[in-house]
Amino acid sequence: MPSSKNPPYLDPSEIPLGSSVAQRFKSRADAFGSGIRDAAGAPAMVLFAGMVGFGAMGRTNGIDGWFTALSSLLMFALPGQVVLMEMAITGSSALAIALAVTLTSTRFVTMTVTLFPQFDDKDRNRSLYAHVHLLAMTAWAVSMKEFATIESKHRLSYFLGLGLLCWSISLPGTVLGYFLAGLVPAPVTLGLVFINPLFFMLTFTEVKPWINRIAIGLACILGPLFTVMDRDTSLLTTGLAAGTVAYFVDRKLIRKRPGVIG
Amino acid sequence: MINTSLQGWGLWIALAGACLGTYACRAIGVMLSGHINQDSEIFRWLAAVTYAMVATLTVRLILLPVGLLATVPLWIRILICVLCIGVMISSPKRRLVPALLTGTLLLVSYGTFFLTS
Repeated sequence: MPSSKNPPYLDPSEIPLGSSVAQRFKSRADAFGSGIRDAAGAPAMVLFAGMVGFGAMGRTNGIDGWFTALSSLLMFALPGQVVLMEMAITGSSALAIALAVTLTSTRFVTMTVTLFPQFDDKDRNRSLYAHVHLLAMTAWAVSMKEFATIESKHRLSYFLGLGLLCWSISLPGTVLGYFLAGLVPAPVTLGLVFINPLFFMLTFTEVKPWINRIAIGLACILGPLFTVMDRDTSLLTTGLAAGTVAYFVDRKLIRKRPGVIG
Repeated sequence: MINTSLQGWGLWIALAGACLGTYACRAIGVMLSGHINQDSEIFRWLAAVTYAMVATLTVRLILLPVGLLATVPLWIRILICVLCIGVMISSPKRRLVPALLTGTLLLVSYGTFFLTS
């Protein structure tokens, strides 16, 4: 292992790419700029639409504007924000809300654990505790795809460009949605509040591993049942039940079969 | 309409708890990254649980919504979702933006013709 001083060279084994492959970026600034450009297309548009939808949801349900805006800025996790909003509207207790939101956010543990080890060793220090706030579904999905073709020393810069753009549009999006919902006719507001459930649903069609597909399918069946029984705890109970069943089905039946994406 | 929503301090305590909980999950991820094999059994299980929770949330927002969406009949909501999935999977490259637009515009058109409030 290199000493704590900056090593003058990069150990070739630290770069997962073959040495014959040219570097994709010239510098950190180049990688950062490319991250911003990659985010500025469909990912940012969809996220912006989701944030507009979230703002509209807050307004139409009479939730405080500051509350709506702050949750976008400080949570930056649409599924969790929608849980927070939905449970606040139906009057759940603060404790139940915090617990449910935290549980939907456990996906960040998995996302971080799969993404952050791909950064260069030099970049893996305490500052990651600040950078991790920029991590959300969008930046994660794009990074996981692009990192394979980016040399490790430029990955953090790329990720920061991507994440920073996504984060910085979330507040304007939310504020816009909040004010639009009060101005535009009700049918348009209806369209705005439908964006998020629609978006979550559509992303499920891109899920490849069978274990996760089974989990989603089971949750679609169990979810409504558990919700009717007890709305407050249904997210947790359905998640644990469907996820655990999917895990064992995958482990016992699917994993050993050839030709199946595991 | 009876207003049952959370008011006053409770609302802000819920927000603080939600923010802290969400950040804690991100920080735990940083802490564990590098120490835990991402292909380990616990992460396969955790990923499945996470997908199941987001799926539950989604199905709940579509089938058992609160607020404005509840004024749209259930079968309309389901029909629009089916049409959107159709647009989405009509191309192997996945048409996310066209599918989102389809759903949103269909619901706006429904609202324009049938919403009475």
